[in-house]
Order: sequence, then C-alpha cells, then structure tokens
Amino acid sequence: MALFRPYRGWIALLVILTLVANSLNLLVPRLIAAAIDSIGLPGQSLQGTIVTFAAIAAGIFVLTYLQSIVQTYTSERVARDLRDQLVAKIAQQDFAYVQTTSPGKLLTNLTSDVDAIKSFVSQAIASIVSSAFLIVGASALLVLLNWRLALLVLAVVPVIAATFYYVLARVRRLFRKAQEAIDWLNKVINESILGSSLIRLLNAQAFEYDKFTAANEEAMTIGMQILKLFAALIPAITFCTNLATLGIVAFGGHLVMTGAMTLGDFTAFNSYLAILIFPIIVIGFMSNVVAQATASYDRIVKVLDAAEPTGVGRRVTDLSGALTVDHLSVRYGQRTIIDDVSFTARAGTRTAVIGPTAAGKTQLLYALTGLIEPDEGVVRYDGVALSEFDKQSLHRQIGLVFQDSVTFNLSLRENIAFSSDVDDATLEKAVNAAELDDFVATLPQGLDTIISERGTSLSGGQKQRVMLARALALNPVVLLLDDFTARVDLRTERQILANVRESYPGITLISVTQKIAPVEDYDQIILLMEGKVIAIGTHKELLAKSPEYVQIYASQQSTEDYELQA
Amino acid sequence: MNYKLNTREADTIKEPIWVALARLVPLMRGEGGKVAIAFAAILMTSGLALAAPLIISHIIDSFITTKNYPGLFSWSGLLLALFLVGLVSSYVQTRTMGGVGRRILFNLRHAVFTKLQDLPVAFFNENRAGDLISRINNDTDKLNQFFAQALLQFLGNVFLIVGAGVLLLVLNVRLGAVALVPAALVLVITQLVAGWVKRASFKSLQTLGSMSGEIQESLANFKVIVAFNRLDYFRDKFRTANAANYAASIRAGIAGNIFIPLYALAAALGQLAVLAYGIGLVSTGQISIGLLIGFLFYVLNFYTPLRQLATIWASLQLALAGLDRISEVLALTSNLVTLPAEPATAAGPLLAFENVSFHYPGGRSVLRAVNFTLERGKTYALVGPTGGGKTTTASLMARLYDPAEGRITLDGRDIRTLTPEARAARIGFILQEPFLFTGTVRDNISYGDRAIAALSDAALTARLDAAGLSALLSRFDQGLDTPVSSAGDSMSLGQKQLIAFIRAALRQPDLLVLDEATANIDTVTEQLLGTILAQLPKTTTKVIIAHRLNTIDTADEIFFVNATSVTPAGSMQNAVKMLMDGMVTS
Repeated sequence: MALFRPYRGWIALLVILTLVANSLNLLVPRLIAAAIDSIGLPGQSLQGTIVTFAAIAAGIFVLTYLQSIVQTYTSERVARDLRDQLVAKIAQQDFAYVQTTSPGKLLTNLTSDVDAIKSFVSQAIASIVSSAFLIVGASALLVLLNWRLALLVLAVVPVIAATFYYVLARVRRLFRKAQEAIDWLNKVINESILGSSLIRLLNAQAFEYDKFTAANEEAMTIGMQILKLFAALIPAITFCTNLATLGIVAFGGHLVMTGAMTLGDFTAFNSYLAILIFPIIVIGFMSNVVAQATASYDRIVKVLDAAEPTGVGRRVTDLSGALTVDHLSVRYGQRTIIDDVSFTARAGTRTAVIGPTAAGKTQLLYALTGLIEPDEGVVRYDGVALSEFDKQSLHRQIGLVFQDSVTFNLSLRENIAFSSDVDDATLEKAVNAAELDDFVATLPQGLDTIISERGTSLSGGQKQRVMLARALALNPVVLLLDDFTARVDLRTERQILANVRESYPGITLISVTQKIAPVEDYDQIILLMEGKVIAIGTHKELLAKSPEYVQIYASQQSTEDYELQA
Repeated sequence: MNYKLNTREADTIKEPIWVALARLVPLMRGEGGKVAIAFAAILMTSGLALAAPLIISHIIDSFITTKNYPGLFSWSGLLLALFLVGLVSSYVQTRTMGGVGRRILFNLRHAVFTKLQDLPVAFFNENRAGDLISRINNDTDKLNQFFAQALLQFLGNVFLIVGAGVLLLVLNVRLGAVALVPAALVLVITQLVAGWVKRASFKSLQTLGSMSGEIQESLANFKVIVAFNRLDYFRDKFRTANAANYAASIRAGIAGNIFIPLYALAAALGQLAVLAYGIGLVSTGQISIGLLIGFLFYVLNFYTPLRQLATIWASLQLALAGLDRISEVLALTSNLVTLPAEPATAAGPLLAFENVSFHYPGGRSVLRAVNFTLERGKTYALVGPTGGGKTTTASLMARLYDPAEGRITLDGRDIRTLTPEARAARIGFILQEPFLFTGTVRDNISYGDRAIAALSDAALTARLDAAGLSALLSRFDQGLDTPVSSAGDSMSLGQKQLIAFIRAALRQPDLLVLDEATANIDTVTEQLLGTILAQLPKTTTKVIIAHRLNTIDTADEIFFVNATSVTPAGSMQNAVKMLMDGMVTS
C-alpha cells in the first residue's frame, strides 16, 4: 500500500505505543497474583505492589490515550490527503469521464471508500497488532506459569477461532446482501419522495406501498438470517471460554492442592484467559474492516490511476468567433447520437439548430464546447482544432446556456459571476441583458441572496435567466443557447434576444430552439434529425428546399398571426 | 397544518434518556410474550454469569485450600451444568431480543413509509427533498444499527452492571463500596466532559455534512463546472471544507477517545482498591481469600460491561435522536381529509372555482376570491407571466392543495368529498417537471393503474394504438422495454415529457391538465400530441398551460392568470395583448 508511505513514521509510533500499552496490560495479572501470594507471608509489604500497580494503571491510561490521539491524527490525515488527491485528480478529468464513471460512484469514492481506509488506519492497525501481541504474550505467560494447565486452556483457542471464521465468512455474504436490500429500500423511499406529486395525482400510494413492503420484508429476512448466525456464535464463544475456566478450576485446583501451583497463579490464569479471548474476537471483526478497506483501496486507486484526457491543448488566443464543424460523429455505445455533421458559422453570425426531441441537439452543443469528445471529425475555431486550445481559455470565450437549470448553493452573484474574473460592470450588463434586474430589485439582499441547492426559491423562468446571465457574464465571443426560452414568457424572450444583440454586438450565436419565428432572420438554420443534418440554409431557402422544415414551420403557423402582431 | 420539519440538530435534545427510551414501548406492541421470554433469558444469563465467580470462590475456600477432591469435582460438575444452561439461555436471549429488535425496525420503517404516503404535497414542498431523504435514510440506518446490535448489548450490560454492583455491596459493604468508588468518579468526569465531547462531535458531523454537500453539488453539475472554468474554484472550496473537516474531526477524536482509556483506568483502580483494602481484610480474617478472588472477578464483571456501555452509549444517543426526528414525521397528519360524500349533478359545469383564495404557508396571496367554471368537453388555456399563479391554479383543480377559502366543485360536488381514488380516476395531470421511476417505459406508463399494469404486451399495444399513442413510442430505442432511471441524464427532458403524456392520455380522464407539459418537445411531435388529444372522448375537458402560443391555439377559452386573479381573456388576440403589455411581469 504505497498510499501509506508518507505516514510511515506515524504508523510506527502508533504500533510502538500499542505494544508498550499492552505489555503493561499483561503485567497486571502477575501483580495481582504476587499480591495474593504474599498474604500470610511475614514481613511482606504491600506498599511496593500497590505503587507499582498504580503506576502501571496510570501508564496504561496515558499510553492508550496517546495511542488513540495518534490514531485519530494519522487516520484523519490519511483521509484528508486522499480526498485532496481524489478531488485534484477529478478536477483534471473532462466531463465525459465524470459522466461515464457516474457522479454517484465518485461521491462514494470520496466518502465511504475514504472512510473505509480511515477505519483501517484508526482501528485495524492498532487492534490487529495489539490482539496478535496479546494472544502470543498471554499464551507465553500461561505456559511459563504452568505448561500443562496452559495447554489445557489453550486447547479452546483454535476451537473459538474456527467457529468464528466459519460464521464470519457466511455473515459477510449476508452483510453484502443486507446492504443491497437497504440500498433498494432507500431507492424506493427516495423515489417516493421525489415523485410525491405524481404519486398523489395518480393515487398510486398502494403501488409504492407494495414496492416498499417487498423491500422491507427482504431486509428483515436477511437481518433474521444474520441474527440466527450471531445468536449461535456469541453463546458458543462464551461457552468455550467457560470450559477453559472450568479446566482452570478443576485441573488448576488439583495443581494448587498438590502444591504444583500457587493460589495467586491460579487467579492469574483466570485473568490471562480473559485477556486471551477478547483479541480473537477483535481480529475476527477487524478482518471485516480489512476486507472493506482493501476493496475501497482498489476503487480509489482506479480513480487515481485513470488516464487523463490526452493531448491537452496549450493554445491561448483571442477568438474571432468563426466556427467550422467537420464531419462530426458522436456515439454512445451502439447508438449514433451525432452522425457526420458538418457546417460553418462565420464570426458574428447567428445560427439556429432545430429538430425533433432526441435529435442530438444538446450533444452537438456539448461537442462544440469540448464537453464531450467526438468519435470522429473535428470542431475548429478560427481554423484551429478545438483540441489544440487550452480548455480554460476556450471556456472563457464560449458561453453555454444549458437546457436544464443548474444553480449552486451560493449567492446569486456567485451563481452568475461564475468565472473568477468578472467585474461589477460586466456583471451588471449580464444581469440587465437577461432581464433579471427587476427580479434582483425585489430581493431583500439583492445579488447577495443565497440560492438554495435545487433552486427551489426561483421559478423555472427565473432559473433559466440566471443561466443566461452566467454565460453572458463571460463576455463571450461565441454564445451557445440550448432551448433556453422554453420556460420564459414571450415578451421577456423577445426583450432578452434584443438585449443580447444590442449589448453584445459581434457575438457568434448558435441557438438550439423549438420556435422558428424568433430565428427566421438568422444567417442560417440547421435542421437536425436523428443526429444527421437534413438541411442547412436561411429560412427562405429551407422553405423552398426542405419538406421537413416546411412541416415544422407549418406546425407553428397557426400562431404566426399573433407573433406578428406582437 | 405546518409541515415544516424542525431542522435543529441531534445534540440539542434536552429530554432525559429514559423519556426517549419510553418512545420505544409503543413499537413493541404485540411483542409482549417475546419480550418477556427475552427478559427472562437475559436475567438468567446475567445471573449465571454472576453466580460463577461465587461458586469459584466457594471452591477455593472450601475445597482447594482444604484439599477436598470430591468437593472440587462435584462443584466443578455444578459449574459445568451452569455453563450449559448459560449456553442455552444466552442463545435464547440473543435470538428473541434480536428478533424483537428486527421487528421493531420493520414496524418503524413501515410506519414512516405509510405516513409519507399519507402526507400531502405541501409537506414535500415545505421540506427540501434532499433533507427528507437524508433524514429518513440516515435516521433509519442509525436505528438499524442500534436495533440490530446495540440494543442487545445495552440490555445485557445493564443487567450485568446492576447485578455485579449489587453483589459487590451484598458480599461486603465496605469492600464493595471501595470497588465502586472509581466508577462514581468516572461517571462524574463523564458528566463533566460530556458537553465538550458532544460539541466536538457535532461540529465534526457538521463539517462532514457541508463537505459532502460540496462534493455532491459539484459532481452532479460537473458540466457547468467544466464549461465555466470553475474547476480551480471547486478544488479550492473543497480543500477549505476538507481542511475544516480535518480540524474538527481531530478535535472530536481527541474529545471522544478519552472515554475508553478512562474506563480502563477506572477498572484498574477498582481492582487496585479491592486488592489493597481486601488483603488487609484477609489478613485480619474478616474475609476469606476465596471471597477476595471472587471480588476481583466481580470488579471485572462490573467494569467490563460499563466500558462497553460507554462505547455503545453514543450509538444509543444517535438512535434516540433519530427516533426523535422520525417521531416528528410520524406525528404529522394529512390536512387533505376526505369529507362526507355529497350528491353530484351531471347537469352543470364539470369543474367550478367558487370564491377560491389561496396562499402558500407564510407566503403572499396567490389567488383571491377567484370564480370560473370549466364546461364538459371544452379546451381551456391558462396564460400569464412566470410566477403569476398558473401552476397553483391547476394544482388546486387536482387537489394537490386545498383552498384557504371558498371551494372547488366537480359535478357540483365539493372536490374534497371525493375519495382520492375517484379523484385520480377523473382528473389527469401532467406535471411541469416530469418524474420517472426506475424501471422501463412500460412500468412508467402503467404506473399506479393495476388494470393497465396487468395488460399483456399485445393488449397494451392495442390500447396504445387505439389512443394513437403508439407513434410516440418510436422515440424510444427499445419501445416499451426501454430502461428508465429516475436519476441521471439517461433521457432528454422531451422524452420524459412524452412518457408523462402517454401515461396521462392512456387513462382517458374527464379532466386533463397539461402544465407546460410539452415545453421541451419539438413542434412537429407537439402537433402529433394535439391530434392525440383531439381523439380523446368528446366529453374530455382539457386545461393547457403553455408559453408557446401554438400549443394553445385550439383553446375554446383563454384565462389570464396574474396578480391573484383569473380573468377570461376573451380572444387569443386579447390574451396575447395582455401578455405583451406585460401587465405585471415577475
């Protein structure tokens, strides 16, 4: 485990503290035995024993506490550094990596997997070392006290160990099943919360109830199976220990009577037995922690060792905004999402992309910003392939307004001035262009109002305008809009588009949209269907040459009168 | 009813632990016999465990020191018999008590889920979904750990501690008292540092929560982070949160780790005290040497469970705090009760708003004394600026909420008198934010309707064909069998809206409400949806909310919803004019 190398010193200290503390522990029964044996002997002073005992007790206290502090310190450090490494690594990956690995999995890597490693450091290392030490030490001391009685007592150890490992192997499988059952149960609960409105509208509570009961019963059944094993395990171990006690009483009693052993040693045997049994159980449980940590370690290493995006570009230039898409194809597994798409947009022109649901419009925009890597073809800005650009410099000049509204649990200002270098004037211009100024004026704390994580305090239209303002605040050369006005009312939409033209002249605009009317005067309209370009041209040209376009146009015609009046 | 759940944290619980424990009693209903057996078994096990040292000390005093072999062997036999009984009773104890714990957990989960299903939409709006989910998952998980493991240990240990403590005092009051002094000291220290420990661990949990929140938010929205060059910002913010968590966790560790060494110290001091004082007593002949050895056993019997109790105390407190938070949910009741049935009349309008006023809890008025009617078989459109109250008006029609004043009638009958089943059958509603359950397209279409769920593939396809819905299925790779996940981007917004549309249209309700149900669907598909809507029975009343005007141009009547009122707009031209004048934009 190369990960632990930087913490070698701390781990060594931990082991040393553990060993010393446990050695002191092993001395206690001998002290008690000596004290008992001293009874009745003339001239024996107890004082020395008491002082030693007290010193040892204090020593154990200090050492165990020190050990646990070192343990905490080391494990928290390991966890913190691992998390930092993971995040630094993830921050170097591209969007495609996070999407294919799934954000949920990465979250698990950063939380439960790191926690498993942390438990390993904080519990397993010290426990295993001290348990092994205690088993060996106690056994050795027993043999030294009286080897015949020792052999009798130690005979139960393998029995306990075997029982324990047999049960644990079976329980571990059940634990996995139990976790799956709990995950399932939680999923049912989560969906019933997220879909609560729908469930009430459809009066589908009984459906949810059935799903839930099935999951809940499964969880209970597995729980009962685990219980059955444990219910047998613990009494069995106790019984084995008791048999050893019985052996000490009967055979040890005999030895005391024959004078082969003192009464004090007899007592010490009982104490060492108690010291001996507990570590066996601890090692058993720790084997679970080790197994979990190993699995988590493998998962973490996989993230840390994942290949980073290849051919990171270095070019940092100011774009003019000219865009060329050359035979672009994107596939998700078997499915072709974008199929051999080519077009050109000169700097400062406006291009609209229209097409049916699931035509690949969003993916096209993602490819234009480098969020997804095309399987074939090239996207060029000013004649230079996208991959040659420094991503940061590119993203500073290309603004993308996502279709779904993503707000962060930050102030409105931070949500909009999302890139680090946005001054107040730029921010204000973006807020005004997105028609957010009236709304901001109604907020008690204005731009410093905190937006909750899921954006619940904003209406659908307001969220979309925040997204637009965020892109405009970049002062972008190229602006990509993904169906951004779907939830904004007509008047506002017109106003916003006019604002953008006026405040951001010379911007290259690529707009994915459902509505033809607002884009009729655009320089070109691209009709996309099932990932293919069906037609490219101005509104007039498309009306003349593309029956599909005419069909879409016709589908919107009935309202054209009102649009014109407006 | 106020549905806002208390957001105070676990550590502010003031009530004594016994009051919190009493909350468990009602959950044990019907388990009386089992609990009695378990308690008997626990008593037996603890009793036997405590009897063994007494017997051993008797063996030492009466037989070993006097070299009495027959006595040694017969009493050893007795010891073996006790151990065998103990084997059985501890098995019974674990088995029955564990079973009771599992069943309590089952009942508790069941009660929580049933309650969740019973509560109205208002409850889910008042509380953020993320909070609710984490509350229910985490709290039941803590209870799970407690009932599955800690409860048993807890009860067994309490019996052992009490038993050993009593025996110590009974055997010899003075020696017993000496043995218990360190325990008293340690309990006082525990009381003194408890506040420090609690604050430190609460702080560490808090920093952990905000760190996970940071990660979750950033990972879920990674595309925005990448597209807006926020990676550095993300890394820095995370680093700050990580460092804060590190510092808090170390402080919590330093505080929380004091207990185990402390209890070990107490045990050692207990033994030391017994030894120092006891040897004196033995030498003056006040107690036997066997009793002294027995005493040393009891000291361990007393302190070992005490130490274990100290380690499970935290999990007990967490479980009780969880129980407390869950009880808060369980105590809520639905405010959407079904009133006694009223006679209905098919003569008047299908649906009517009568002087309806509405506001969200603590919010400003959304509707004030609104009146309008919806006739059978007609199509209505609701237009108005964002935030004007369109969705609220529609939600009231489906009784997602009840009006604050006035009433809504269906067939002349107060909508509150309909059973939820009848209401759901008559009113279809396509929500603005489509939600899909994990499963297939088919599962989602048939969701909530057992009759449809029971249809064979052929029968379902026939139903879809008849309703003209089959054409929409071609938008999905594998038709009805296309897998669906509730989370993630596996489907576009438009596709989700299509599924919601099919689900609602297939049921042919009397009133169908479409709340921006096609906002992300292309206009050609939308025309197809229009055709499908036209094929619904002539008596179906439709209410459409949309920003795109072509979506609503088939409406028989248009209502303009804004500034607490719902006004008939007359013609489409007028509606557009009202919109364009931007009466009051949000």
